Amino acid sequence: MKKFTKDLPHYLSLFGILLAGFAGLILFSYDKNFQMSVAFATAGAYVAWGIVHHAIHKDLYLETIIEYIAIAILGSVIIFSLIIRS
Amino acid sequence: MKLLKFLRHLFIPHASNNQKAKILHPSSLSVIVVFLITFQVILSFTHGTFPRVLGYAASIPPSEVIRLTNAERIANGLSVLDENRTLDLAALAKGNDMLAKGYWAHFAPDGTSPWSFFTSFGYKYRYAGENLARDFSDPTSAVNAWMNSPSHRENILNSNYSEIGVGVIEGTLSGADTTIIVQFFASPLSAAPSVPIVKAGETSMVAIVSSPLPTPGVAVSSFISPFQTTKGLSFGVTGVLLLVLSVDLIVVRRRRIARIGGRTLAHLAYLGMILAVILILKAGQII
Repeated sequence: MKKFTKDLPHYLSLFGILLAGFAGLILFSYDKNFQMSVAFATAGAYVAWGIVHHAIHKDLYLETIIEYIAIAILGSVIIFSLIIRS
Repeated sequence: MKLLKFLRHLFIPHASNNQKAKILHPSSLSVIVVFLITFQVILSFTHGTFPRVLGYAASIPPSEVIRLTNAERIANGLSVLDENRTLDLAALAKGNDMLAKGYWAHFAPDGTSPWSFFTSFGYKYRYAGENLARDFSDPTSAVNAWMNSPSHRENILNSNYSEIGVGVIEGTLSGADTTIIVQFFASPLSAAPSVPIVKAGETSMVAIVSSPLPTPGVAVSSFISPFQTTKGLSFGVTGVLLLVLSVDLIVVRRRRIARIGGRTLAHLAYLGMILAVILILKAGQII
């Protein structure tokens, strides 16, 4: 909890990124190509957040970056498949 | 016993999985990604080869679209629209034209206006309007989408209209299976001569009511929807991962495990957003 409070500004920026991504996906539901771009940008921003966050905490390792990329790719594939099928 | 050990290895941080649930390892996530992509490929193949097994699911009787439209009109203090079979056939013809020429718009690429379908079936109108919808799986969703759009709502609640025709057509548009709903609104031009009232995109002509025509076919399918299948699988995968991440967060904090890896809370937030999108995304467009 202490760590979360200390990292609150970091998590607030993350929530901002995710909120913007969510809003973009919903608001631009009429344009599938733009929706995919929003999903891709959100995933990219998520990975970038992870890298910056861990770099600041001096615990940035290759395994960490790969983990964020794997989660981002998984999320993107799920969103893309739904957009294509809708 | 072995099964329990395997499940523990898969879902709970333990010495055997380096203090991180195996399913959360990048290798396992890659397997899930490959599985999801393969599933989509199989879904497309099955739909293309066995369209009656897995296809677009829609149950949209035109009469239900008309009933729901009139319900909205009644709720807003307006008179109901009478179903006109000529307009039904004209709407059906418009839908078939869209599929044949491959366009999703009010006006065809060759300039064919929606009003030409009225006149080609002998319907002469004072007022005319059109609403279009596609990829909705039920009539309620389509009508709700129209009512939530100011311009489409205006058509539905226009007091100038007295008749309605609806065509529901299934086919392939831009390489994807779709169900198109065409809603035609109109008022016949009265027999008494009067100054025609011309609105944007409309022309006025002498009203002619055609002789009774056969009821247009109702487009009804009973397939498994690829969209709903994808949505269900996505929900399941994301739900399981969120659950495992939550367990991971609790266990790691309780045992004060130090490990190299991403922030579980960040992963929870990202997948939480994905889950929210899964729940909210719907099939269907209006124009």
